[in-house]
Amino acid sequence: MSLCGVGKFIPLAIICCVLQNCMPSRYVKPLAKKQSAAAFSFGGPLITFVGAPIPIPFSALGYGYGISDNLTAYGNLHTTSLLFSNAQADLGATFNIYKKENTFGITASPALQIAYNVRNQSGFRIWPSTDVNTYFHPDKKPSYFYAGFNAWFELANLKAHNEKQQRHLIPNFQVGYVIVKTKWQHQFETKYLGIGIPNLPGVVDYIGISSRGSFGVYYTLVRKF
Amino acid sequence: MLSSCLKLDDNLFNNDNKIKEYKLDNYTGEQDFILNASYDIPQNFITLFTLESQGPSDSKPTNIRALYIGDISKIGTDTVILYCHGNKWHMDFYWQRAKLLAHVNGKNKYGVLMMDYRGYGLSEGKPTENGMYADVGACMKWLKERGLGNNKLVIYGFSLGSAPACELTANSGALTPSKLILEASFGSAAIMVQDASQLNMPADYFTNLKIDNAEKIKKVQQPFLWIHGLNDNFLNYKTHGEVVYKNYDGTFKTKFMVEGADHGEVPAKMGFEKYLSVVGEFIGK
Repeated sequence: MSLCGVGKFIPLAIICCVLQNCMPSRYVKPLAKKQSAAAFSFGGPLITFVGAPIPIPFSALGYGYGISDNLTAYGNLHTTSLLFSNAQADLGATFNIYKKENTFGITASPALQIAYNVRNQSGFRIWPSTDVNTYFHPDKKPSYFYAGFNAWFELANLKAHNEKQQRHLIPNFQVGYVIVKTKWQHQFETKYLGIGIPNLPGVVDYIGISSRGSFGVYYTLVRKF
Repeated sequence: MLSSCLKLDDNLFNNDNKIKEYKLDNYTGEQDFILNASYDIPQNFITLFTLESQGPSDSKPTNIRALYIGDISKIGTDTVILYCHGNKWHMDFYWQRAKLLAHVNGKNKYGVLMMDYRGYGLSEGKPTENGMYADVGACMKWLKERGLGNNKLVIYGFSLGSAPACELTANSGALTPSKLILEASFGSAAIMVQDASQLNMPADYFTNLKIDNAEKIKKVQQPFLWIHGLNDNFLNYKTHGEVVYKNYDGTFKTKFMVEGADHGEVPAKMGFEKYLSVVGEFIGK
C-alpha cells in the first residue's frame, strides 16, 4: 500500500465503494397494508484502519409503504453519496414468496440502484439488484433472524477505454437479526460483500477472506407509522 | 465545499510538506529500497535548487524544489533523465530511485533531474494535476536554458508521475522528450474508480482529475518502455499499464514485466543490475 498514507484511507474507501453494494437489506419482511415507515441505515464494509477493523460509515434515509400485506414499496436516498455531489437512490419492493405466519418466510426484494452526478450533471447510471431472504421467528416472537443473498448486476458490456466489462454480477451474502417493537425496529446485519471477488488491487485494506470480498456490518433503525 | 474535500483529488496527492530539509542519504523514513555504498553519488554531483513554475492558469509563479544528479555545466552535452516521482511524500522517499537511475549505463553517465511537485516536500503551493504538469514543464525549461536538446531528454514517470510524463511527451513543453519510460503506470482516473468498484462507474462521480494516460499515449510517437510489477496491488498491470501499452501506436515500444513485484517493488524485485540493464538498453538504443 505504498501509494497512500493511512490517514487518507477512509475517504478513499468511501469513494471507491460508495456505490458498491454498500447497504443492508431493505424490509426483509413486508410492512402491513397501508403502513408507512421511515428508515435510517448506517454501516459499510469493514476495513483495517490504524490496525483496527472499522466499518466505512455509509448512510441512507428512506421511506417504505405497505401496498398490501405481501408487498412493500420503498425508496432510499444515500446520504453519504450526496457528500460527493452524487445523487444515489435505491427504489425497490419487497414481496413474500412464502409465508408461514410468525414462523418462517421467504421474501424477494428487487430494486434499482440509480446514480447521477449532480455537480457535473452527467453520469446517469442504473444498476438492478435483488435480495432474496429467508427469515424465521424463534418461539413465534415478533423479532426474527434472517439470512439471504443479494446481487448487483452490471448491464454494460464496455467500461473505460472501450475495455470489456468483465464482471456483470456482484454477489453478496447476509445474515441479520431484527428486533421488532410496536413502532420501532432495529435491524442488525452482517454481509459478506463481493463473494470470491479479489479485493486487491485496492486503496484500502478490506477485511475479507484470503484477499477476496469484504465483510460489512450495518444497522438500520425503522420507525413505523 | 464538503464534497470537494472528499474527492479523490485530495487523497491522490499524498504529499508531505512538513519537512525542514532534504536528507537524501541520511533519510531514515520508510523507503522502497536502500542502495548500498557502491551506488553513492559524489557530493559535487548533487545539486538541490529552487526554480519557478507557472502554469497557464496560475496567476503567479510557485517556487518548487528540484534536485539534479550530475554535472550541471555539462547538461548541454549530456543525456538527461527527467524523473517524475509518485504521489507519496517528497523527494527523500524517491532519492534511492533517482540515485539508481544515475547509474544507467554507468555511474553518472546520464544526468537525472527530479523535482518535488508543488505542495510536496519543500516546494511551495498545493498539489494539483495542472500544477504537476506545470512543475515538470518548468524543469524542462530549466534544462533547455542549460542547453539540453530534445534528442537528449528522456522522461521517466513512476506511478502518479506517469501522468506528467505522458502529458509532456504527448504535448510538448519547452522540450520534447525523445523517449518515454513508464513504471507502474496509471491508466486513467476512470480505470482506478472502476477497478475499485467493479462497476462501470464514471470517474467524475469521485474526482475532478483528468489523468488519462490511456488516451494521451495515442499521441505519443517517441519510443516507449513500459515496466510493471505483475503483483501490483495498487495499479494493476492489466487494467492500468496494459491499456496504455496497447493504445501506444508510435515508432517503438517494449515492455518488461516483473514477476512478484508489487507497486513500489519493481527495481528491487527485478534486481538493480537487471533494472539498469533494461533501462540502459532502451535509452542507449
